Amino acid sequence: MTVAGQQVGAVSPATRDDIVLRAEHVSVEYAGASPVRAVRDVSLELRRGEILGIAGESGCGKSTLAYALTRLLRPPAELTQGTIEFHGKDGNVVDLMALDPVALRRFRWTKVSMVFQSAMNALNPVASLRTQFADIFRAHVPEMNEDAREQRSRELLEMVGIDPGRLRGYPHELSGGMRQRVIIAMALALQPEIVVMDEPTTALDVVVQRDILDEIEQLREELGFSIIFITHDLSLLLELSDRLAVMYAGEIVEYGPSVQMGTAPAHPYTAGLLHSFPELLGERQSLHGVPGSPPDLRQPIRGCAFTPRCGYAFEPCSDRHPVLGPPAPGLGIGEPGQPHDSPSRWQVACHLHNPDLRPAGLPAALTSGLAGPGPVSPEPDPVSGEPDAPGKESA
Amino acid sequence: MSVLEVRDLTVDFAQRNGPKFRAVDHVSFELQAGQTLALVGESGSGKSTVARSLARLLTPTDGTILLNGAAAGRRGRRLRAYRRDVQMVFQDPFASLNPAFSVDHHLRRPLVIAGHRRAGLDEAVAALLRSVNLGPAGTVAKKYPHELSGGQRQRVAIARALGPDPAVLLADEPVSMLDVSIRLEILNLLDALKRDRQLALLYITHDLATARHFSTHIMVMYRGEIVEHGPADEVILRPAHPYTQLLSSAVPAPATSRRELTDRRRARQQAGRAEHNAERSEAVADTGCRFRRRCPAAMPVCSEHPPDFPAGPAHTARCWLRDPERAKEPA
Repeated sequence: MTVAGQQVGAVSPATRDDIVLRAEHVSVEYAGASPVRAVRDVSLELRRGEILGIAGESGCGKSTLAYALTRLLRPPAELTQGTIEFHGKDGNVVDLMALDPVALRRFRWTKVSMVFQSAMNALNPVASLRTQFADIFRAHVPEMNEDAREQRSRELLEMVGIDPGRLRGYPHELSGGMRQRVIIAMALALQPEIVVMDEPTTALDVVVQRDILDEIEQLREELGFSIIFITHDLSLLLELSDRLAVMYAGEIVEYGPSVQMGTAPAHPYTAGLLHSFPELLGERQSLHGVPGSPPDLRQPIRGCAFTPRCGYAFEPCSDRHPVLGPPAPGLGIGEPGQPHDSPSRWQVACHLHNPDLRPAGLPAALTSGLAGPGPVSPEPDPVSGEPDAPGKESA
Repeated sequence: MSVLEVRDLTVDFAQRNGPKFRAVDHVSFELQAGQTLALVGESGSGKSTVARSLARLLTPTDGTILLNGAAAGRRGRRLRAYRRDVQMVFQDPFASLNPAFSVDHHLRRPLVIAGHRRAGLDEAVAALLRSVNLGPAGTVAKKYPHELSGGQRQRVAIARALGPDPAVLLADEPVSMLDVSIRLEILNLLDALKRDRQLALLYITHDLATARHFSTHIMVMYRGEIVEHGPADEVILRPAHPYTQLLSSAVPAPATSRRELTDRRRARQQAGRAEHNAERSEAVADTGCRFRRRCPAAMPVCSEHPPDFPAGPAHTARCWLRDPERAKEPA
C-alpha cells in the first residue's frame, strides 16, 4: 500500500468541518467521601482523519477524558454531565450515552479502539499472538472463518512491520517496541474510525518511539482514521498532531492548531510546558519547568486553577474563573491584525486575553510560564497538604 | 581529579542455550568530582548494566574500578566501604521506595548502616530532606511513599542516596518516569547537589537534550560499547558516529511545517526500514562494527572492528569514517 505524496491533503485537516466525534460539556467524577472532579465541563471536536493531541501533566484528567470519550469509565468514575456523539462515515450519528451494553460492545473496537500506555500489560502473557488476534475476530466478526482470521492477522502484523511468523509467538518474546506495534495492529484490526492512544510511546526509547510515531502517521495516511493522542510530552505532540488541547486541572485551557500553539502559546501553562524541555540544538539556558503541582481536584477551585503556579497571575485570577475564548491579538497570536486561521478555532481560557482585565505592561509574548512579574524562586516543595496539593500562595 | 576510574569493564551474562551474552564490552571512562558525565544509548545498549556493576549490584566479569586511585573492594568490609561512596538513584521512584515504610525510615537506615551516631539522627534526616528541597521536614518524614507525588518520591530517593555522603552518584534514568513538567526540577536539583557537594555524577539517559544541557561530557553506548565520547556540545552539535546522528535525528522536532515533517518522515522510513528489519532479525555479528547493518555509511572496512579515532578536541568516535588514513585517500 503506497500513497502518493499529493494525496495527503485529502485526508488531513483540509476536511475541516467533517466531525467524527463531538463531545460537549463532559464532566467526570470519581465518587467518594469527597468526589474528585477529574474532568470539568470539557467540549471538543475530532475531525475526520486528524490527530488531536491532548497534553497536560499527570492528574490533569487526560486519561479520564479519553476513557469517558470511549465510554470505558468504570465505577467509581462516573460521567456526571455531557453528551458524546459519533458521526460515522456512513452518515449515522450515534449518541454514545444512549447505547445499551450490547450495542456498546458492538460499537467498541469496530468504530473506536484504544491503544493503552503499557503494552506489557495490554497483551495476555499466556496466550499466543494468534489467539489474541483471533479473539478480536471471534468477538466482533463471528462469521469469519479460521483461514480468513489467519489471513487478516498476518496482514495486520505485516502492516506494522512485524514478521507474520511471529503470530505463534508470545508477548514476552517481543521487545517493548514490537509489543506496542502489535497493540496498534490489534487496534486497527476492525478498521475503526477513531483510535484513542493513551501515552503509546512513553515507556520506549527515542529511536523506537520515532519508529512507532512514523508508523502511526503512515497508517493514518493510508487508512484515514482519526487519532486522539494523549501524552505529557508536548514536544512530541507539536510535531505529530494537527490540533492540540492542553488540559489543566480537568479543564481544557488552550485548544488550537499545534503549529501556532508551539510557536506562540497563548496560555501561561502551555508556555510553561513548552519550556519544560531543553531544545537539543538550541542555546544552553537555564530552564525550570513548571514548579509546583496540579491542584487537588477534590477541593472546589476558585478562579483560575493555575493561579498559584502562574508567573503572570494578577488581580481577578484568584477569584474569577476564565472561560475559553479567542486569544488576544499581540499576545500569543503574533502581530496584531495578522490574518490567521479563523480565531474561533484557537481558544484559550486565561484573563490575560481579556482586554477588560489585562493589566498594562505585559510582554508581547509569553516566554515561559514563569516569566513576567516576579519569577518564582525555587521554594521547598510543600508536602504539607494532600499528595497533589497546589504550590500554595508561593507565587 | 578523577574520583572513579573504570578500565575495560566487561560484563557477561549466561544464556540458557548458546554462548555468554556480552552486555558490556571493555568500557573505560573516568568520573570527575563536581562534573556530570552522561551515558546515552537505546534500551538494551548496556547503560544500566554499567551503572549496576559500578554500584556493585552485580559483579563485573572483568575490568578494574578504581575509587580515588584504590581498587574497589570485591567483598567484605572493603566492598561495603566502596558501596558507601558510590550511591545510586534508580529510574522508578514508585518501585524504589518501600511502600510499607515512611520517608523517615528510608533516610534513617542508610545513615545508621553508614555508621552515623544515634544522637543527631533526627537532625541528619531533616538536613537530608532540606538538601533536596522537601519541607517541612517534620511533616514529610512521617509520610509514606503513596502520599507523595512522583517528583517528591524521586527527591526522597536522591536524599537517601546522599545519606552516606557519597563521592559518586549514579543516576540511572532519574527522570524518565516523571512528568515532563517536573523533570527539569529534579535535574536542576541533581546539578546543584553535584556542584555543592563536589559529587561525581554519572547521568544515564536516552534523552539527548537533557544529556547535553546537564553534563560536561557525553558517552554514547551501542550494544555494549562506547562508540563516541566527547564534550557535550561537541557530541551533540558535531556528532561523529552515525549512531549518534541517528539518535539525534529521532528527537521530536517542533516548529517546522507539517509538509516538511511528512517529507522527512517518508525519507526516514524508506531508508530505514529494510536494513532495520534485517538487522533486528540477524544475530549480532561478533566481529566488525556492530552498527554496520543499520549504518547508512557502511563500507567494506566495517567488517573489521574499528578502534577509537580522534574526532575533535577530547572527542573520539569508534568509526572507520574517522580514520585519518582514510581521509587521505581520494573519495
